[in-house]
Order: sequence, then C-alpha cells, then structure tokens
Amino acid sequence: MKRPAVWLLSFLFFALSCSSSLAQDVAQQDVVRGFFDAQGGAVSSHTNNWAVLVCASRYWFNYRHMANALGMYRTVKRLGIPDSNIILMLADDAACNSRNKFPGCVYANAGRQLDLYGDNIEVDYRGYEVTVENFLRVLTGRMDPSVPRSKRLLTDDKSNIFVYMTGHGGNEFLKFQDNEEISAFDIADAFEQMWQKKRYHEIFFMVDTCQANTMYTKFYSPNILATGSSELRENSYSYENDNDIGVAVIDSYTHHILNFMEGIDKTSQKSIQDLFDTYSYEKIQSHPGVRSDLFRRPLRQTLVTDFFGGVAQAEVLPSLPEVIQRSSDAADTANSVPGAHIIPPVSAYRANDTYTYQATPAKGVDVAVVFARSATPGQSRALITFRAWASIVLTGSLVTWASRTRVK
Amino acid sequence: MTTRVLYVLAIVFGLHLCCAAKTVEERFYEQLVLKPNHDGTVTSSFSFTTLIKDGRPRDPRTLGKEDESQHYTLFPLALGQILRDNAITELHLSLNAGKWDYLNWGYPEEDGVGTGAELWAWMAEGGPVTVDERWGNLRNALAGLFCASLGSLDEQRTTSPALTFQPEGDLPAFSSSHQLRHATLPSEHVCTENLTPFLKLLPCKSLSGIASLLNPHRLFDADWHGMGVHVRFLDHAGIEVRLSFQAVHNPVRYASDNRRDWSLRSLFDHTIEQSCPVASSSQIRVDLPRSTAAIITEPEPTARDDAVAVYDVRQLNGSLNVAMRWPDETSFEYPLGASSSPLAHMTVRRTLKGSDQYKGHLSVVITNHLMSELQTSYLETMPWLLQFYLHSLRVEHDGVSRDDLVSIVSYTPPVPHARPALLQTLLTLPPNSTLRLTMDVVKPFLRYTEHPPDAQRGWDLPPAVLMPLARDASAGGRVRRVYTPVLLVDLATPDFSMPYNVIIMSCTLIALIFGSVFNLLTRKFVAVSLRPPPPAQRVEHM
Repeated sequence: MKRPAVWLLSFLFFALSCSSSLAQDVAQQDVVRGFFDAQGGAVSSHTNNWAVLVCASRYWFNYRHMANALGMYRTVKRLGIPDSNIILMLADDAACNSRNKFPGCVYANAGRQLDLYGDNIEVDYRGYEVTVENFLRVLTGRMDPSVPRSKRLLTDDKSNIFVYMTGHGGNEFLKFQDNEEISAFDIADAFEQMWQKKRYHEIFFMVDTCQANTMYTKFYSPNILATGSSELRENSYSYENDNDIGVAVIDSYTHHILNFMEGIDKTSQKSIQDLFDTYSYEKIQSHPGVRSDLFRRPLRQTLVTDFFGGVAQAEVLPSLPEVIQRSSDAADTANSVPGAHIIPPVSAYRANDTYTYQATPAKGVDVAVVFARSATPGQSRALITFRAWASIVLTGSLVTWASRTRVK
Repeated sequence: MTTRVLYVLAIVFGLHLCCAAKTVEERFYEQLVLKPNHDGTVTSSFSFTTLIKDGRPRDPRTLGKEDESQHYTLFPLALGQILRDNAITELHLSLNAGKWDYLNWGYPEEDGVGTGAELWAWMAEGGPVTVDERWGNLRNALAGLFCASLGSLDEQRTTSPALTFQPEGDLPAFSSSHQLRHATLPSEHVCTENLTPFLKLLPCKSLSGIASLLNPHRLFDADWHGMGVHVRFLDHAGIEVRLSFQAVHNPVRYASDNRRDWSLRSLFDHTIEQSCPVASSSQIRVDLPRSTAAIITEPEPTARDDAVAVYDVRQLNGSLNVAMRWPDETSFEYPLGASSSPLAHMTVRRTLKGSDQYKGHLSVVITNHLMSELQTSYLETMPWLLQFYLHSLRVEHDGVSRDDLVSIVSYTPPVPHARPALLQTLLTLPPNSTLRLTMDVVKPFLRYTEHPPDAQRGWDLPPAVLMPLARDASAGGRVRRVYTPVLLVDLATPDFSMPYNVIIMSCTLIALIFGSVFNLLTRKFVAVSLRPPPPAQRVEHM
C-alpha cells in the first residue's frame, strides 16, 4: 500500500508545477511581445517571405539576364527563402545551352569564380512557359486547379514579396521573349488585385532594364516599395564580358545590388535605405530610382532581410481577455490594431464554445478581425484552471488504477 | 517497482512491433552499368529501383473516396501521391537530350531515348474522374515535380498508340479496361533543375551509394544524356518505381593525350565514398570489351567473368574508383570503317525534304542488318503541324516499288488546332537490304498567336518509333523500341510587326481622310481682301 502513495505524491508535485506554469504564461507573453515591439513597431509584422524572379529574355546573347535572375535566386536562397517560396522564371536555358562551354553552369563574373546554377536548383517556369499571362497568373493566383503548388504564389496578407524582373524594356514596358510586352499598367493592376485579395503584406519591386524607372510609375496600391535601374530615356548597361563564355555575363545595376548583398547575412541589420545610399552613377552607369511614397514604413527602419531573407517574425498572440480589451480600445480610437490579425491562443479553442466575429473599421484598408468569446474573462480563467486540474486528477487516477490492477 | 516498469516497457515494445509488422515492406536496389563503346565513348546507365511489396494501383472508382494512408520509408512520397491521386497503373517519363547512335552504342538499357520529353501512362477507366482529366492532372503534377514544361503536353500532342507502347508490367484486374495516353515534347531541354528533383526522390539522395556519382556538371556535358521515371505494377511482386539516368561520355574529349582510358573520377569527377545503407543491393557492372585489350585497374572486382566485372558497393571499404585502361594503345583512333557486326538490327534515317513552305516529302530509309526477314512496326505521332497525304505513301526496295511490304494498321487523321495524327503501320524488311518510304506532306498555316516566341527557328517534330518484332535474347525476350532523331519543320511565319504596320497605316489613312473631309465640311471659304486698311483707322486702333 505504500507504493501507490508514492505515485500519488509524485503526481501532486507534477500537477503543482503545471499550475504555476499556467499562471506564468500570460506574464511570459507580455515579456515576449515587449521584446519584439522594442523598435517601436517599425519591425515588419510579416510572417513569411516570397520571391518572384523573372528573366524575360530569350536567346544566348541575353545570357546576362539569366545570370541576373539567378544571382538574385542565389541571394534570396542564401538568406533563407526556401525553394518552395521562390517562383523562378527563366525564359531560356543558358546552363545547358549547346553554346555554353561550361555545361550546367551560369556565371555572373568574368573570372567565373561563382557558379550560380549549382547542384540544387528548381526552375518553376522555363522556356515558352515564361509569358506575360503566366506571370500575371502567378501574381494574381488565378490558375487552373491542377497547377501544382510549386508553380503558385501561395501568399497571404502576412507575406512580404520580393519581385525582381529583368529583360529588355522601354518606356513603361518590358519585353517577354522578344514576342510580347508587359506594361507598367498591367503590373500595377495585378498588384492592386493582389492587395484586394489580401495576397501580400509588403512588396519590394526591383527591375533591371532600360528605362526601368518607368515600370513602377503606375503603381497605386499601398505598401509597395519600388526601385529600378535607369531613368526614362536612359539605357541600363551590362557590366562585363567573359571571353570564354563569349557574351556579357551580368548587368551593371544587378551586379551592384549583388555586391551589396554579399555583405548581408540573415542577422544583418542593414536597412533598405543603406542599399539605396550606395547607388551612384559612377558605379552603375545609369540613374537608379526609388519610389517609396506608397510604402508606409520609414526606409531607415526597413531591413534588407525583410524582403531578401526568410527571417520570419514571431507573431505574438495576445491571450483572450486582452483581445477583448484591445478590441474595445480599437473601436474607441478607430485605429488599426498592430498586426492585421489577432487570434486567440489555440488552446482556448473548443468546438462547443461560441465565437463572434467583430470587424473593427480601421484607417486605410487594414481590417482587424477580432475573436471575442461569449464567456467573461474571469469565468474563462477559472474554467481553464478547473479543466487543467480535472485532467491531471483524471490522468493520475487512471495510471494508479492501471498499475494496481495489471501488475500483481 | 522495476518489474512493473519492465512490464510496461514490454507492452509498449510489443505494441510497437505489432504496428511495424503492419507497415508495407519496401526494397531499394541500385545498379550502374558501364559499357565502353568501340567509338571511344562510355555508356553509363544508372537505375534505382524501389519496390513496394504487394502494393496495388488504385482503382479509379475509389477516386472520390478517402484513400488508404501512404506511409513510405523508401518509396518516393511525392511521386506516390501523384500516382494515387490520379489512379495511374503504369507511368513512363523520359527527358533526354541528344541523338542516340544505335549503330555505335547499340541498344540502350532503357528503351525511351527519343529527344526531348516523352510521357506515357496506362490508366483504368471508370470512376468519377475521366481518363483525360486524370491525364491532364498527371501532366501538371509531373511538370511541377520535375520542373519541366510537361503541362504543355495537351490534347494537341496526346495520342493513344497502344500497338507500340504496350504495358511493361501487368494490368490489375479491375472491372474496367485500361487506356493508354502518350505525348511527346521534342523541344524540351534537360538540365540541372530536372536532376535536382530526381535526386530528391532517392532514399539516399546524392549523398551516398551510386547516386553520389550523379554530378550535373559532368552529366550534362555528356554526348548524350537522359533521365527516366518508370512505374509499373507486377502482379506477383508489387509496385515498382525505377528511376534511371543514362549518359554517353566521351573520355577522349577530356583526355589531353587523346586516350580513351576512363575512371569514375574522370567520367563523373566523383568517386563513391560510402554505400547507401538502405539499399538491398548496390552494384556496378562493367562490360568488358572482347576485341580490345582493355584491363580493369585499381580495386579487384567482387566477381568477374569474360564479359562482365561486378563490384558490390555495399562491401565498400574506402572510396571506390573503377577504372579501365588500354595499355597497348598510345592514342585512340576512331574506327573509320563500318563495324564488323552492327550493334542494332536495323538503322533508320528520317528526313523532311522540300524547301517549299507549303509542301514537302517525308522520307524514311530503313536498313535491315539481319540476314533474315524482319517485321517491324512503324509509328508516327505527328502534331497537326505536318499533315500526311497518306495516299502518296510509296515503298521502294532496290529501286522497285513494293507496296505490299507495308500494311497500315490504323490511321487517325489530324484536326488542325486540335488533335495530332496517329499512323501505325507494319513493315516487312527484306534481309540485308534497305527499304525506302516516301510520303507527301503539307505544312499548314498557323494563327498569328500560335507561333512560339522564336518562330523563325521552326518546330521540332517528335521522333518516329519502330519496334522490330524479332525477340531479342539479350533483352530478356522483350521487344525493343527504336527512336528516330527528331525533325525540324520550317512553317510559314508572318511578319510579326504586320499588325502594328496595319494599325499605323490604317490610322494614318483614317486621320487623313477624316481630317480633310471634316475640314471641307466645317470650314467656310470666303474671299479675303488683301488691301491694307486706310491709315486713319490704323492710328485709332493703336
């Protein structure tokens, strides 16, 4: 009879420690939230990163455009965006082209030190599949149901998207495969559609082509930061040739960006403004432009890794009573709640509980969706504690019973 | 206390064992066959086989319902899900680049060596989803899995040539019959992005075992290379997935001293450092050339006879670098004369003649190397980009017309913009002689939007497939398929700036006509007096 007593004692101890940790939970959340909000809300509240990299040029002599896109691919992959979150569109096969003296390799510098193609690459759209239609379908998500996930941009309203385009272009257009064009209006409308469908949180649009800055002049959707390589009526030039490859290997602007990116790692605190500050005509041989009037955060506090890295921010979810408190605050001030969604902790979900959806009208387009429970805060706290205790006692008694009956 | 703990442990362990016994049994085999050819090249054929014991393909009638759970340890899940979701019984996908030289390299280990992409599948009928819908889903799913443009293998390229593409495995006895879907895309490129997902399907990836030799930089530099995925169902065994990679390397091209000596390191720039621990068998077979004095150096093979040396990679200690040398040769001399005994039963040359942009001739020249009569099937799955005048089909043997040597089994005419042609014939090849087939063809006009971005390059046409009906002892009694090289057809291309010219021209004309008519209608013509006004008035005006 002594042994069951020992069992019971140990369970009591276990249960006690459990209950104390339950109480600590809320305080812990506040600490974590305080830690992440330390920079005064300037930290991006995105939870996932995506990249759409487009090389719109066909033919071997456009090797440099393939290298541009692959250089960006290498960078975003190195900084942590997985292949599943990268849509890479290459209009031609430079690596296994019969004119390529180095099969399976694409180099972005004259010395051929760094192979961008590597051993591990996934090209989602290639060759004839790189069309204006497919690009707009990727952005807007209007696809045939049987299109596989790897070819889709499965973003949500917490996604930061980096869109990079390169090719031959002109005033407000970019050519796809020397065959068709995408206009600045098309991209602007696609982004607006994405915004309305809540397909992005922020977009960083970068384009390297002749007269590239005209490509972003038509944007009108919020949270888009755009940069381009050259002004209206200005060409964007290639950087260098490799004599063994026989063609230009990379464009000047992209070469400059990639050079900057080589100094960035996942934990880098360099801001987008730091990148823009390095722009100079002497280095790039054209006048790169920046458009930030649609972008809401200060560029000094926008990290490069917010778009290039897969460094996800932790979304600290407030506990239930707090949500209700906050929702009333939000209704008073008609301000948007920081973070687009506030969701109660998963542990509080129960099938038989009723939830009401309360949409608070917020400034801008942000809508905060708040879950409120029919039970009052005090009741729910007592209920949770009671459930915890009840389950502990039940488990303890079950184990005790099992050890007494099965083992003689 | 201890006894109780032991007791509980025993129960847990017993439960675990029970569950383990229920899981499917899987086997993984890998093999590499290296074969030096008499033209100095080396053919390497990788094959990675995974077998689900007693697995059965899904019955399409269960497609709407919940599927049985898929717990695989070695079998590639990504592929397994595609097979289950579309109820595929048998599947063959190949992605090749180059032209297979049957005369110098002999028959390949894997039959499917047609340039570009080729996909064919056997599926049972019935159930809530039609065969064609499942075929569409399969194409898209494989396109996503293998980073290839297989999504464009649409109805305009899909046929059902059941005579040539017989199932390689067994067809399960469902109540409904099975159907074949076959499509080719000869312009498809093959590169590292196709090999990356291929390697991810292997249980040891490219980290250990034979697969560690699959180095993209060397494989895609080979004279010929191709990868394949073959799924079949064997009634007595289960579901088998065979991933294959074949390449024809040219060591003479790499060598500075023009010798044809090769080793694993010289071919792949890698050696095998460790074996794949989950492989039930893992071996390298090296075909020993009979006529030349070649010796195998370095490690002693596990087993050998006159024709073949076998290395067991599982018994590996240290790194394995198989090498072959020709010590008597100072430099390799390319054999100029015809080889003493042809390595293939027959050779096929197919050409498209005529410089016209509307008409042309298709010519197929087939040489039978055997001393006996040979029956062969001849298949054309031609997109509507080239349309046959079947009545003009002529067969000539030794300058004599011999229309009796060809018999047409089936012909499905093409529908422009919708469906390809399918021509299945049977040919009789007289012994040791050459047969010539000619046929008039017509090239259609394409719509403006149907042209590819590089329209001036022309269109790649799929290879014809021949199947000599002589059973080959070396192939284990099965019949082989022989692929011809692809053709390029030059279709009439419009001036692509034409719409802009038309728009600009007509706009200018309209502006001119409208402007002058509008002027004539609205302007009032009056006589103006040019005499200056009197001086007094001028002063007043100032």
